[in-house]
Amino acid sequence: MRKFLACSMLLSLLVAAPLVQAAADLEINTPAISSIKNTMQSRHGQLAGFYASGAVGFTRDGLVAVRDANAVPLAQRQNLNTLVAAENSDRNALYKEIASGNGHPEWEAEVRSTFAQRWIQKAQGGWYYQDGSGWVKK
Amino acid sequence: MSPLSAIVVIATFLPGCFLNRVDAQDVSGLVFSQAFLDCRATHFVNACLITLFACWALVLGITPAYAVSSISIEADKVELEAGNIRNLKAQFDLDGKVSLQGQVKARDDQQWTEASLGCTALMSPRRGHWRCQDGKLAAQNIQLPFSFELTQTRVENGERYSALLDIKQASFSDAAGLRAGEKLTASLGFDVVHKKQQWQWQAKLDWKNGELFWQPFYFPDAGHQLVANGSWDDGVLTVSQADLSLNKVGSAKLSGKWIHGQLDDVQLNADDLNIAALYPLLLQPMLENTALDKLELEGRASLKLTVAHGELRSFLLDLKDADVEDQNGRFTLYKINTRIPWSYDDPQVMQLAYESGHLLKIPLGQASIMADVDRYSVTTSQLYLPILDGALSLTDVSAARVGGSWHWHLRANLVPISMPELSHALGWPRMEGKVAAAIPMVTYSGGNLVADGDLLFQLFNGNISVSGLNMQTPLGLGPRLNAHVTMRQLDLGDITRTFSFGAIEGKLDGDVQNLELSNWQPVKFDASLRSSPGNYRKKISQRAVENITSLGGAGAAAAIQRSVLRFFSEFNYKQIGWKCQLRNDVCQMSGVEYTPQGYVIVKGSGIPAITVMGYNHNVGWSDLLARLKRVTEGNSKPVIK
Repeated sequence: MRKFLACSMLLSLLVAAPLVQAAADLEINTPAISSIKNTMQSRHGQLAGFYASGAVGFTRDGLVAVRDANAVPLAQRQNLNTLVAAENSDRNALYKEIASGNGHPEWEAEVRSTFAQRWIQKAQGGWYYQDGSGWVKK
Repeated sequence: MSPLSAIVVIATFLPGCFLNRVDAQDVSGLVFSQAFLDCRATHFVNACLITLFACWALVLGITPAYAVSSISIEADKVELEAGNIRNLKAQFDLDGKVSLQGQVKARDDQQWTEASLGCTALMSPRRGHWRCQDGKLAAQNIQLPFSFELTQTRVENGERYSALLDIKQASFSDAAGLRAGEKLTASLGFDVVHKKQQWQWQAKLDWKNGELFWQPFYFPDAGHQLVANGSWDDGVLTVSQADLSLNKVGSAKLSGKWIHGQLDDVQLNADDLNIAALYPLLLQPMLENTALDKLELEGRASLKLTVAHGELRSFLLDLKDADVEDQNGRFTLYKINTRIPWSYDDPQVMQLAYESGHLLKIPLGQASIMADVDRYSVTTSQLYLPILDGALSLTDVSAARVGGSWHWHLRANLVPISMPELSHALGWPRMEGKVAAAIPMVTYSGGNLVADGDLLFQLFNGNISVSGLNMQTPLGLGPRLNAHVTMRQLDLGDITRTFSFGAIEGKLDGDVQNLELSNWQPVKFDASLRSSPGNYRKKISQRAVENITSLGGAGAAAAIQRSVLRFFSEFNYKQIGWKCQLRNDVCQMSGVEYTPQGYVIVKGSGIPAITVMGYNHNVGWSDLLARLKRVTEGNSKPVIK
């Protein structure tokens, strides 16, 4: 149930992220964006446990990073890295697609920073995120 | 041996640690305090060992003179390159028990953490021989039980040190957990002879048990061994011969030279490696996020490699009967045999052959490839890759690695392939006829793929051409494709039979202008499909009529059912036309012509004739695809009343 809540919460975030600026539509939906969101959605089930254990946290630039792999058995740490790399690859693609979907590829940085704030705002209690001083537990 | 000489010996023995000044004070009492003022060891363990042995040596030196039962040594601060130690306390009991405690802080750490090092019995059974039994190094994230033995003997013109370190069930981890080991049991033997300025060494590492994660590598099983010898002379480390044996993978011989920690020369020779075991252990972690990061491999490989002055000079890679299978199902090659030589200095010829395989489910036949390799470029005038009953014939193939990225170009021809077999292989509906293609010069550079001319395909008895093809980062993040597609005189009978759409007889012309794919999904195009000009038989079945109308939404089909036309199974038409302008995931549709109510998709003619109208001008692209899928999967059954 918790996983489901987290999942739906993150998805609602994707859909309902506020406007980065008056003209940018963060809710824009293109086939490319929906396919990226789908893979992120299916990956979220695997990542949620790592967010909860503090192994992975949200970074200031709208990505995720390995924070403390000690929470994960040795045999799973490669998988952890792979998941984080794949998630970041999708997140980068998502920001790029939203910016170019708006017809303004140069807005990517603003899209990214808006998403970064929203990921952190919507993170569950106990999850980690980065601020200026380092990792913070929410 | 005097106490101070013992200290100096140990300090010199541990590389990178120098004792500038040692103060011994208050020798008369039970408490012996000593300060290491300038010990700059590269590692915490080194510093601890120095203190231990200094302690031991001092006791040996003073025991005859003073009645001492235990000695404690304190140091306020020890500065090391890797970090600092404070409140260092060493305790030595005459029964041989030694302990060392303090607080350590690595250079990047924020906080001090407690650490301890001890031996239940530190002994010197004879002159020049030291033994630490049941030793233990403990700190945050480190539990390292060990035993240690060191023998010092005098040889001609020098000294010889033999050390044996056994660790049992040790575990360690860095703060982030990216370098960690668990239940490690290993033994490390060292034999060093110091003559004049030179050190001759031999080492043997036997990893007996435990698992290790050293980002990005993970070694789940032990059983690896390294035996090596060489010399150390004023910052130059020479490995004369090293034998590395990796469990289940195979063994490699290595020699080389490192100057001040920088790789200078290396010769590597590995024969008969098991690539099934090598791939997950060493290759996969390095291929993360590439097309080769989820493979299943079988077979053997051998590799010879030479590095000189820090640069790769030559290698020879042979694969023997290797099978490569992509776990994402994109490609498979069986029985690959290669001989890939490469040299910085001389051009080479590489050979690659495989017996069979699949590329995106398309069966590949046996092929043998030869290419010229000249430093950072690969060229071949002709590559012939059999596919089913046809082939992909590549010409003018040239690839070069410049500035860290690949640039290549090629021309290609598709020697006609039977569509029934190809469509079956791809899991598509059965298609008739043959497909052939001519692909002009295609250039890939700086992440962009550009076709220099039109790609021509022959399919459905007609012609399809793709012009202005341009792909950005086709293999990278957010691939994008732009092209214009032109279709002429396609056989509608073949198409509608193929896709179970309901029979339409006739010919189809089409244009898809401004096609833009992002992540291989259409985001924009201006499509127009229409009957080809000319005289030919034009018939449309009732089922096709129903399917076309259901694409536009409900309602129209019902009207047909009720009309007198339901008595006929096929109708004449004059013209078919359908346009879709895709923007923002919405298809704006129109047809042959507009009427006050909508637009005409099928314009009837003669008797019996039928006119099919469309009423929805805007349909979501995903809705349209879903409807098309329903129709072609036959869920929308024709109703004959």
